[in-house]
Amino acid sequence: MSSLEAIAAALFLLVILYFIYDYYLKKKREESTKYVTRELLMCLNCNYRVEQDFEPGDFIGLVKGKCPNCGGLMKIKAIFSVETST
Amino acid sequence: MFSADASLLIQIVWLILLLLMFTGLYQRIQIKLWILVIKSKLNVIKSVLEEDKNRVKNMLRNMGLSTPEELVSRLLDFFIIEPVSIEPTDIIKRMDHLLRVTESTFKQVVGRYLPSLGKHERSLAESSLSIVAAIGLIYRVLRHYAIQSEKEENYILLMQLMYLMPQILRVVKTYHEALDSFMYGKPIGDGVGPLVAYTLSEKCNITSRRVVDDTSVLEAVYENRRLIIVKAEGPGSNVGHPGAVISRIVEELGGRVDMILTVDAALKLEGEESGLVTEGVGAAIGDPGPEKIAIERVAAKYNIPLRALVVKMDIREALTTMRKKIYDSVGVVVENIERIIKENVPEGSTLIVAGIGNTMGIPG
Ligand SMILES: [Zn+2]
Repeated sequence: MSSLEAIAAALFLLVILYFIYDYYLKKKREESTKYVTRELLMCLNCNYRVEQDFEPGDFIGLVKGKCPNCGGLMKIKAIFSVETST
Repeated sequence: MFSADASLLIQIVWLILLLLMFTGLYQRIQIKLWILVIKSKLNVIKSVLEEDKNRVKNMLRNMGLSTPEELVSRLLDFFIIEPVSIEPTDIIKRMDHLLRVTESTFKQVVGRYLPSLGKHERSLAESSLSIVAAIGLIYRVLRHYAIQSEKEENYILLMQLMYLMPQILRVVKTYHEALDSFMYGKPIGDGVGPLVAYTLSEKCNITSRRVVDDTSVLEAVYENRRLIIVKAEGPGSNVGHPGAVISRIVEELGGRVDMILTVDAALKLEGEESGLVTEGVGAAIGDPGPEKIAIERVAAKYNIPLRALVVKMDIREALTTMRKKIYDSVGVVVENIERIIKENVPEGSTLIVAGIGNTMGIPG
């Protein structure tokens, strides 16, 4: 085999490897962006904050649960989605 | 070095390739390949549609409807016939009428099947059904073009389908994700306007509160200025009729309003940052026309400055559960509103702040 053919073969192989790598990266990027919905509760008395998972039926401004700090009522301050860290 | 046999083989391959090129037969091969790819993508959309249909059926069953199939099939193919546009006289009035009839028909039909349900939950059922209907429409239109182009071997049409596919798939995926937010009533990115209105109302002392046309109108006093806050009535999935309501308020006040400020989510350009807050002039509202023109008309009639604040996001962020980044921009918008009020609205005057968008998960 001449050296020119060897170079051509090596280039061809490189191109194929690049496409496989690119496809793999794209797939990984698509899979990695998973989101989970969280909610922020704030005590009406002492402004103590708790962040927890969203539960169906919740909405912003809903008074829900007791404050673990002072026993006052907690109100949902915010609902948002964040990327899961996995 | 090649043997004589191998070089003969290579010559034959070249000859075949040349023949394919000159006779146009290579196009046939390409057409077959494209049809295969398009059909496989179409199957992906079909499976998404079936999955989402089942999710909505289960949701309706949980809401107390034992046979949801009838309701789903009735609303899946629901259509609106566009108003005549070659004769534009009164087109806004006609369009507004059609949109309102669509809205009330949807509500009536869902209400007939689910009479015991509250307003909030019923709005979630309505929105979830319309999302599935949107995916169904995309699927049917794509299938139509795929079958037609295959029948007629239409190279150009197939090429368009082929290159539009990634974009269409992204839209379908977005709707698929959005269904999760609408089924459980989580606030979506488009709700940033109503959330700003709610946050602003929490900061002021509200003097009166009424609901007109599915839209909340809150009156407050903000640093010696009369502040009227307009937003869709929450926390159900609802966009209200902010344009019609703003127009009515201004007419009621005889035009004595010193500024109308609209806050909305806006689609960002690729490369722009999500959650960016920008300022401008005009009515920031993305309805098909009637609401926007109502604001523009009343502002022009009484010469009221029309200011706008928008939060940039992409279509996926707008239709799915509100990202943290966009939630964080609410504070920035409220600061901007306060600055605009202090700079441009003198004490003792009246201004309207409208939070435009779907108020799902946001009360008030
Ligand atoms: Zn507390």
